[in-house]
Amino acid sequence: MKRYFRELSVTAALGIVLLGLAVFAPAFFQPQPLLSLVTREAPTLIVACGMALVIICRQIDISVGSQFSVCSVCAGLLAVRGWPLPLVLGASVGLGALMGAINGWLVAGLRLPSIVVTLATMVTLRQGLNLVRQGEFVNLPDNVQWLGLSQSAGQWTLVLSSLAVLVVIALAMRHWSAGRQVYAVGTNAEAARLAGIPPQRVTFLVFVFLGALTGLAAIMNIAQSPQVQPLSGAGLELKVIAAVVVGGVAIAGGRGNLWGAFAGLLLLACVSPALTHLHIEAYWEKAIQGAIILLAVVADGVRQRRAGK
Amino acid sequence: MSAPANQSGWKAMFLRYEMLLFAVLVAEWLLFYYFGTSTNRRGVVVGFGTMDRQFDILRHSCEIGLLALALTPVIIAAGIDLSVGSLLGLCAILFGKLWFDGGLPIPVAAGLTLVIGALAGGLNAGLITVLRLPPLIVTLGTYSLFRGLAEAITHGAITYTDFPASFLFVGQERWLGLPVQAWLFALVAVAVWLLVHRTVFGRSFRAIGFSPEGARYAGLPVERRVALVYVLAGLISALAAIIYTARLGQAKADAGTGYELFAITAVVLGGTSIFGGKGSVTGTLLGVALIAVLKSGLATLPVVIRMNAAEEISGLLTGALLLVALTGSVLPKILSSLRGRRQAG
Repeated sequence: MKRYFRELSVTAALGIVLLGLAVFAPAFFQPQPLLSLVTREAPTLIVACGMALVIICRQIDISVGSQFSVCSVCAGLLAVRGWPLPLVLGASVGLGALMGAINGWLVAGLRLPSIVVTLATMVTLRQGLNLVRQGEFVNLPDNVQWLGLSQSAGQWTLVLSSLAVLVVIALAMRHWSAGRQVYAVGTNAEAARLAGIPPQRVTFLVFVFLGALTGLAAIMNIAQSPQVQPLSGAGLELKVIAAVVVGGVAIAGGRGNLWGAFAGLLLLACVSPALTHLHIEAYWEKAIQGAIILLAVVADGVRQRRAGK
Repeated sequence: MSAPANQSGWKAMFLRYEMLLFAVLVAEWLLFYYFGTSTNRRGVVVGFGTMDRQFDILRHSCEIGLLALALTPVIIAAGIDLSVGSLLGLCAILFGKLWFDGGLPIPVAAGLTLVIGALAGGLNAGLITVLRLPPLIVTLGTYSLFRGLAEAITHGAITYTDFPASFLFVGQERWLGLPVQAWLFALVAVAVWLLVHRTVFGRSFRAIGFSPEGARYAGLPVERRVALVYVLAGLISALAAIIYTARLGQAKADAGTGYELFAITAVVLGGTSIFGGKGSVTGTLLGVALIAVLKSGLATLPVVIRMNAAEEISGLLTGALLLVALTGSVLPKILSSLRGRRQAG
């Protein structure tokens, strides 16, 4: 019980918000809008899974938003060329993995601080995309939207497959040696090395994995609309990092799990409808996101200090 | 590790590095002069070679330069502050609001803005030193918070304009031959240079950046010194906000978006180690000049004008430049470790 206090408290907070919505805004629970809301968050969940791994490994990646946009636009262009959907998916995942590999090589190979490296790749990728595309939209062929299925079938497919990804990664992190290695490296890289785990390789691979998941998420996102907006991934990094940190993944590495990140994401996803109900305008969203990140790390910091004393 | 033995060797190398930067700067300037200058149909020289463009470079240097000066002690002390660009936006908005809605005279509004900047820096400092939170996540949070507050206050739409001419003088006119803000910038640059290179404080920043634990055992008040560095960064960002507003004559919520990248790049390019413990203000100033010439020069190249993409290209090149500078900074270490491995094997 005590071990999972952090995850349970997030889940409790989520329960309170849902209860509040049930009492004050029952319209929130109408099945169709709720399904749409959950579907919109499905790509974010996929990226959050990868981000959780990177943060558990004591690194950070703020370039995911740009990677997401690049993958979305490239996948859209390939779909327009008439590539079949599975190939487009493969290409997007591969492209994401490649961008993740660049970050991973700079961080693990050259031992540079991940925050500065990914700041540089974030801007380079974003401006590169702007330069090439000049903000142009890509109009997608019909077989892409909802993966060529009916709308509700497509929505269910997206939601269920994102949940499947979550469950597989969460179980792998708990039970597979690869998952335990990520925790080991994030807790103490030197101790991990002495125990025979190659910390640099693990660090490199979590970045590649996050990139690949971002590529997958990009496909799940473009499947939801008839066109690709090149700005669709802007600010995604903050949303994802906020979800992961709120969910109890310690920024100092080695602590937290994906269930917590999942609860954190759901909590954040409900905050926005709750705010609308409280008549707080949308301009506040960025400020609130920042405040939530700060609150979550402050809560962790206070708990850690108390535990230390 | 034979670092202490050849202290003078290090110094010589460092001087060489700054000379190299200077040479690159001169080459860059000449390149833009050659490719960016032309004569229009009426026989008037336009583009990079004009005096106006040189002043434009200087004005751009002031804002990026102030943020880079603010970041130099932070990075020397092994910290990072991603929130400076957002704080610039927030301070610009609050300055406009204090003057326009609050009806305060400009000097009072400017003074209050500086206080707000220092307080915002104090928020970073408090979270980092009192709660011992990692600076990267704290300043990532305030990066979002400060920008978000600026957007919330203006509803993403309000722009403060119609500042009096006496205020715009600071950002658009010249005094003793140079843009007015260049004098302010020079003043801050000298102050930061003195702080980093000629005081016990500067020495303690390096000690902390090199090894916080070691600095603590040596009796340094690590928390207080680190707090000072972040408060100073907030204060200087607020000054940059005022100068930015004076140059453009308007305060908008998106002021200074992405400037943290330019500032961090200038600092790293200037030879300050991203791992802390080592750095120079002179290097930072050269890094700022390199980036300001790049930013302003690109807009004069015919190719770029035709593509109408000066902002994208300067962002792209600055990001790439940061990656190159980072890689270059660790290259000697990697080469020597490779050599060591070969000798051992």
